[in-house]
Amino acid sequence: MFYHPWAIVAGAFAAGLPVLVHLLTRPRPVRFPLSTLRFVLEIVQQRRARHRLRDILILTLRTLAVLFLALAMARPFWGRSDAVQTDENAQLIRVVVLDVSQSMAAVVHGIQTFERARPLAAQRLEYRNGMRVNLILAGARSQPVFEQPSTNFAALRDALTGAKPLPQELDVTQVLPLAAEMLAQGDPEAKRELIIISDFQRTNWATADFSAVSGDVQIELESVASEEVPTNLTVLRVATQGRPEPGRETRIEVEIGNYSPSPRTVRTEVTLGATVLQLSGVCGPYSKATLTGEVLISQLGWLLGSARLLDVTDSLSEDNVRSCVVYVRPPPKFALLSRQSATEKPASSYFLERALAPSQGVNSAGDATTGKDAAGSQLVTRLNPANLDSELLAGADLIVLDHPGRLSAPVINQLAGLLRRGRGILYVAAEAADASNLQQLLELTKESIRLPVEFVPPAKAQTRRNLFLTEMRREQSPFRLFGDDLASLIAPIRVSGGLETRNVEGALEDDVLAQLSDRSAFLVAATSDSGALMVLNADLGLSNLSGSPLFVPMLGELVQRLLGSEQAVREVASGKPFTVALPSEVDALNELQIVPPALPTQDAQSTGNGSLVRESAGVLWKGEAAGPPGVYRVTRRNADVFALATAVPAGESDLRALSAEVFQDRLAAGRQIRFHAARGQADEERDTLWSWLAVGCLVCFMCEFLTLKILRT
Amino acid sequence: MPATSHSRFLDLRALAALEQMRFTTRHRIEGAYTGRHASRQLGGSGEFVDYREYSPGEDLRRLDWKVFARTGKAYIRLFQDETNLVCTLALDNSGSMEFGARSETDLTGSKLEYAQFLATALSHVISRSLDQVGLAVLTNTLTEVIPPGVTSSHIARVQERIESLKTTPTVNMAEGLKRLFEQGRQRGVLLLMSDFLMEDLEDVFAALRLFRHRQSEVIILHLVHPAEERLPDGSAFCFRGLEQEGEINCSPTEIRALYQKRFARHLDTVRTFSLSNGCDYRRISTAVPYVTTLSGFLVDRTG
Repeated sequence: MFYHPWAIVAGAFAAGLPVLVHLLTRPRPVRFPLSTLRFVLEIVQQRRARHRLRDILILTLRTLAVLFLALAMARPFWGRSDAVQTDENAQLIRVVVLDVSQSMAAVVHGIQTFERARPLAAQRLEYRNGMRVNLILAGARSQPVFEQPSTNFAALRDALTGAKPLPQELDVTQVLPLAAEMLAQGDPEAKRELIIISDFQRTNWATADFSAVSGDVQIELESVASEEVPTNLTVLRVATQGRPEPGRETRIEVEIGNYSPSPRTVRTEVTLGATVLQLSGVCGPYSKATLTGEVLISQLGWLLGSARLLDVTDSLSEDNVRSCVVYVRPPPKFALLSRQSATEKPASSYFLERALAPSQGVNSAGDATTGKDAAGSQLVTRLNPANLDSELLAGADLIVLDHPGRLSAPVINQLAGLLRRGRGILYVAAEAADASNLQQLLELTKESIRLPVEFVPPAKAQTRRNLFLTEMRREQSPFRLFGDDLASLIAPIRVSGGLETRNVEGALEDDVLAQLSDRSAFLVAATSDSGALMVLNADLGLSNLSGSPLFVPMLGELVQRLLGSEQAVREVASGKPFTVALPSEVDALNELQIVPPALPTQDAQSTGNGSLVRESAGVLWKGEAAGPPGVYRVTRRNADVFALATAVPAGESDLRALSAEVFQDRLAAGRQIRFHAARGQADEERDTLWSWLAVGCLVCFMCEFLTLKILRT
Repeated sequence: MPATSHSRFLDLRALAALEQMRFTTRHRIEGAYTGRHASRQLGGSGEFVDYREYSPGEDLRRLDWKVFARTGKAYIRLFQDETNLVCTLALDNSGSMEFGARSETDLTGSKLEYAQFLATALSHVISRSLDQVGLAVLTNTLTEVIPPGVTSSHIARVQERIESLKTTPTVNMAEGLKRLFEQGRQRGVLLLMSDFLMEDLEDVFAALRLFRHRQSEVIILHLVHPAEERLPDGSAFCFRGLEQEGEINCSPTEIRALYQKRFARHLDTVRTFSLSNGCDYRRISTAVPYVTTLSGFLVDRTG
């Protein structure tokens, strides 16, 4: 097998070229009558006998030299054999899985990884008597060429010729069952073979589960990953810190990943609407760095932009730019659901209201009070759950519940619906009723939100009083803000009231941000693809937390985290199915239009746009597979009503590959898996064949020179 | 005896310088008529040579009566008889004699043309001494024989036949010589003009040995064209054989040295064969004018 088969053709041409030149430049002989032709014949025969050996040697050496040169240019490699050693006529079902994910576009030593994989796949698709074969192009959605293994080798090779790396992540969990399904078809007596040609990135293949493949299937893994890990820099994430608002400076965060063994200085150009910002910093080896900068946003609505690495040369250039979408909202509106009166002081809800809008004046009017601060930028609406105004609740950006009492089913349904559509909820759990409310709310949103603990009312004999904070996630919001002062700030805090908590089996413990001295959770967060829910387990009226200097900034951080969670829905993975709920103000389909980014291929635009549907939860944007990276907009009368960025998942940028031992010892689960690293150490040794061929070419030329010297005429 | 030939090869003005020269032989020969050459027979006239005892039956006119009167013994007087020379011109008419010609139709400059000039001149010189001249044309066989004669018409016929010679591809000449030997009876002179580029060289000299055994004198005139001694300059030639041996492509540059060695060996072989068989050998280059060649030849013969 050869890396460059075209060199064979070039070599054949090169071998024929001297003959062609000789024929074209051969002198036309002069006809001359000669009486002594007998003597000439004798001499020529005598000379021919003498020089026949020399001519044969020279011809052989020259031909060998040209052949060696052509073979050296063709870069042969050897040692390959089919996984299944069967006789010529044995029935064989073969499925070839070819990785077409983004990482296969990496260029190493001037050769794209995919171009190393293509000839290997072509070899596996060559005709063989009694063999049925199928090709699966594996990306985010694995696409088999035929529904079942076929003998149409030509069509498979055509499909292979047209294949190219896609800006997608490889979904291993999908491709292996699909391959197993393919192999299960056909003659049960036939031998079965699964060949996977990939770079075997650790980010994708670490979770590979070969148990879906039948035990009698021979599995062969052909790795085209380079032994030397390719260097790669990538933009992993572009986000705003907090809630971008007009007239305020917003912090832009660009997360850079450095997948190389040396630290790199990176420069990034961030474009957001008309604003261009350059960020720079140093990113350590095999680590991530977050570059931040401040931008002043002056307008409301959807801002489209991108972050691009400058002056970077790496293996994978496709991930050096990442699109982003920022939705600039007006100052947030808070809905405070509480049965407590606004005038009741001191009360838990009072402290909350003052902390949410520190400069807001209180203008109470019955059960619902509204007020504005001097700038009119923030607004807290106090709502009584017993007499809830649904429109006011839906119009709030953040819902805060404190002492709401037992909520009715419609109220909980509405809260669940808002949560699913990206609304943030801060629940201050202080009463026994709160445990019931939370349980019902989580029951309705269990598909998307799961808390790490279960809140239960405290036993009657047990009083929760003067509990202090013990364990906190110092590196996370909101505690990250206080840095080294955190210990001194939390020391005097004593928490009273609240609920008992029980750990939920299999839940993510990291979502418990702080614990109290009785091992109950103090602050819990749960974030989903849609909204976010945080539970503060304390009665602020009974605790001294509200009087702590920690309280207002902590609550501000929680609010920013809950409001900022809306950003998460603005990016989906290319090639993956997606369903996104449009903002609640977009309630009808009329005149809505999806505008894709300007992409080089029409095909990509037509398949990745998805469609808009009206459902009970509102207008949904659905798609079988998100399009290539870029910003997709939904417009109404040329005005953006929604925008969505698609990007390749960050895992595709980490080009480190799994070793053969990991597959054979850990992932194989006791079955025989043949792993062949095309660029592995063994292959590196085998790949030196071309240099030996070059040496052979040189030796041939030297031997020719010596032959001419020794057997000269 | 005036010649009446109109052969284009007979240039009397060129031969005028050789008017006083004669073709002679050192051997005693047999001739049909009385002439200037010593005969193998000791006759009754001529120059006294010796005495011999009389044997009964001998011609009494040769008995020396004075000696018989003085001694009482009968002695016969012996005299050297003189006779004319019978010369046969044998011409090689093979294709190789065409070498040096301007073209296939114009044989000017060829060895054959040179041989025609030389043979015509020789026939003229020999016939002027009232010696007999014959002609034999040799190819693979004996193509034509004109018996020796001395009359002007005979000489003209010989010369005209020489003029009309056309080459024939020939690889063997021994057969023709054997035929010539069988047809002749006299012990004369055989003058063979050839380039000796034939395959049966040993057989040719075997046939010539027959003439020598008959006590005939054999004179070899070996014709060599100067262009034969070295190959032409150039890198690519297609050599065509004149004896229909076919063609061969080669580069003369590569084989020139070997060729010259081979040709020199051929010349030595012919010379060695000639001398070892008692033939008179003379190598003649066609680059030398035939009159000069003939002059030198006759001078050497005269001694």
